[in-house]
Amino acid sequence: MDDPQTTVLIRRAQDGNASAFGELVDSHYDTIYRFAWKWCRHRANAEDIAQQACIKLAASLAQFRFEAAFTSWLYRLVVSCAQDWQRSQQRHLHAELSGDEPQPDDSRTEDAIYIGQLLEQLESLGEGMKETALLVHAEGLSHAEAGAILGVSESTISWRVHTMRKQLQRREPLASIHA
Amino acid sequence: MNTHSFEHELKQLAAPPPDPAARERARRAALEEFQRRPGTVHQLHSPRRWRPLGPWSSGLAAASIAAVGVAVYWLLPPEERVLAIGEPATSPSVPAYTELKRDEPEPPQSSTARAERSAITTAPPPPKMELPAVETPPPVMDIMIPQEALPASAISNATDRPRPAVAPAPPPPPLQASTRALEEVQVTGSRRVSREFDSPMAVTTIIADTLESENRDKFQHFDVNPVKRAAEEPVSTFSADVDTASYSYVRRQLDDGVLPPADAVRVEEMVNYFDYAWPAPASRSAPFQPTITVSDSPWGTGKKLVHIGIRGFDLPAARRPDVNLVLLLDVSGSMNSPDKLPLAQRSMALLLDSLKPTDTVAIVVYAGAAGQVLAPTPVREKQAILDALGSLRPGGSTAGAAGIQLAYELAGRSFRKDGVNRILLATDGDFNVGITDREALKSLVERERDKGVFLSVLGFGQGNYRDEMAQTLAQNGNGVAAYIDTLNEARKVLVEQASAALFTIAKDVKLQVEFNPATVAEYRLVGYESRGLNREDFNNDQVDAGDIGAGHVVTAIYEITPAGSSAQLIDERRYATGTDAPPRGRVAPGEYGYLRIRYKLPDSTRSRLIESPIRTRASVPAALRQDVQFSTAVAGFAQLLRGGRYTGGLSFEDVLREAQASRGEDPYGYRAEFVQLVRRAMQARGIQ
Repeated sequence: MDDPQTTVLIRRAQDGNASAFGELVDSHYDTIYRFAWKWCRHRANAEDIAQQACIKLAASLAQFRFEAAFTSWLYRLVVSCAQDWQRSQQRHLHAELSGDEPQPDDSRTEDAIYIGQLLEQLESLGEGMKETALLVHAEGLSHAEAGAILGVSESTISWRVHTMRKQLQRREPLASIHA
Repeated sequence: MNTHSFEHELKQLAAPPPDPAARERARRAALEEFQRRPGTVHQLHSPRRWRPLGPWSSGLAAASIAAVGVAVYWLLPPEERVLAIGEPATSPSVPAYTELKRDEPEPPQSSTARAERSAITTAPPPPKMELPAVETPPPVMDIMIPQEALPASAISNATDRPRPAVAPAPPPPPLQASTRALEEVQVTGSRRVSREFDSPMAVTTIIADTLESENRDKFQHFDVNPVKRAAEEPVSTFSADVDTASYSYVRRQLDDGVLPPADAVRVEEMVNYFDYAWPAPASRSAPFQPTITVSDSPWGTGKKLVHIGIRGFDLPAARRPDVNLVLLLDVSGSMNSPDKLPLAQRSMALLLDSLKPTDTVAIVVYAGAAGQVLAPTPVREKQAILDALGSLRPGGSTAGAAGIQLAYELAGRSFRKDGVNRILLATDGDFNVGITDREALKSLVERERDKGVFLSVLGFGQGNYRDEMAQTLAQNGNGVAAYIDTLNEARKVLVEQASAALFTIAKDVKLQVEFNPATVAEYRLVGYESRGLNREDFNNDQVDAGDIGAGHVVTAIYEITPAGSSAQLIDERRYATGTDAPPRGRVAPGEYGYLRIRYKLPDSTRSRLIESPIRTRASVPAALRQDVQFSTAVAGFAQLLRGGRYTGGLSFEDVLREAQASRGEDPYGYRAEFVQLVRRAMQARGIQ
């Protein structure tokens, strides 16, 4: 499931060894941060989400019992942090329509805009769509893994992937970005 | 770029490498957290605020499950819950967190910060139901005490003086850290509390560890049905659902002053709780006929609602078949509460009144063990049945075989070939009926169903209720799942609707609507998420679906966007080919779509078909206007409770107005009660 080295680190950290825990964070921070970035495509926000995930990892590592792959467990934690972040964002936007919502990253290229719109559209297709798309397509996980992470069955993931494809495939890029 | 699929675009999505300074901050914050929590959760236990749940408290310390903090809140008894709501704002220790945040220098994005501040004082949002369930001890409740998540020094500092620096001073962040980060580092010590996490709970939340166990949700999570394009997916198929458990559960939550968890709200069950005047079939040639109306959607300008109403014919008493009923009652210790076993006993006594003297009733109980309390007894010996019912005590354990098997055995012994054979299971959520493996239990219920013994589930009480399990068993047992919280509810389910609960008039009722892309741009099925079927399942008689009892009323609502309306959500496809727009085949400008219903007569294995067009001019007849309006109000309310993804500007106030305007005759006061429920939701929202 996980490589033996990680397993040893987790066990030592669970025994209270801080340096093992630090190593564990070090070796997984990239994964955490990169997913967080893909979620919001904004450096500072991704750093916040990632930091929150690391804190949660510290708080809940004792509960990890090696019955699932550590990475799946970790993804679940990061997804939950990202969702929390997004909910708080939406609340702010609703609370004040001041319009200073965080702009996507510095790289305001066509690609960045396109991806932003794409993810928004995926989200509008239904609950869990954005999560599914990112885990399956951007992270390259299997439907079974994504299902385990999101707490739904593998077939639900397959259905979501299928639905997204049907809804979006060959559709025109979402706005006239060339204009 | 559009030459690539979106999957490809996502695959190409590459995050920039992380900033080493940010990594270091995260690492330090996590380490700080780590050192405060040396391994075991129970050290954080704070009896004052989070009392572990009674029946589960043993073995808690060792149990290594954690839950999303707010979810736990739903497991607390109501009185605790109210306390828990108030506390984040009032407890002396928690403001430490709030004050700490207030000391924060005004960040550049002040509007965000202000919004956040107001968010801090509000309680956490209604939890997603990631509830662990009952088969094994659920999560340790001693979790996530906000104040303990902060360094002790931070608390004392914050309460006496808004001094920015907090001991013990961490090593200064590396120079390359952004100014924004620096400001916050000053405030909160080495641990930077992200501004985006707006509730104290969120900061210290631990993830539900459901990955490590099978799905233990009490309420199964489901996604809201999305909007679909008629041109791309014109056919919508689902199974009938006559359950109403969700409504009673929601009512119970609102009566306790809290909003129900979203996944506990099933829109169709809320709508189907009420009786509507959809006409019964004129002749007995079919068990029901559909009534179709089209009206304007109150929450989507330019959209329309299509109501599909069904009323099964009712059986006159003389024509009712014989009933062979086995009551299977949970008498475990947890049933020891006035709203559980005593209520179940009184409910069952009520039920006797709606049975014929020649019908038989048997009673089986289960707790640690199971046993027969009463052999099949004719209802004419009513006193004997009442005595047996009255003798039941919670916590008693009786010897015998597994409860459910014994119940099926008794049902088999007094099987009525031309009658109704049914087990009525009453429980507060403990399905330890002798078979612990869920799949095995399910397949037993299915096998017995095929032999002619059906199963219905009555849920009682709170705190332990396992909705999903009740649903699964009842669906597979050709029965209903009802949630009984008051004697009134028992009367509704077991007396007024006794014939519906007991006499199935149609099995495997499936509905399929094919929308006409020439007149309908988009459609959305309101509710029925857990009842979706594949298109091909419709004509497959092997596929099980919902059943309809005598006199049952079933309502389904579609929200449609007529073609050419500006309310359309999904853009037209630029490269659409002739295969979908404009449609081939028949262009029927006068029809929004075509409804097909398949059902089987109770003793048949071959399905029959009812068909009806959905005409664009199918307006609402005056006699049904109030019912359409009221059912729409209920659907709107249920969707709001689920988060209101598609309800636009609809508010509880709108629902209240609509419901009040359409109460009609309301002989039993159910609609008046609904109006009260909406008011309670408005209050509960104010608190939360």
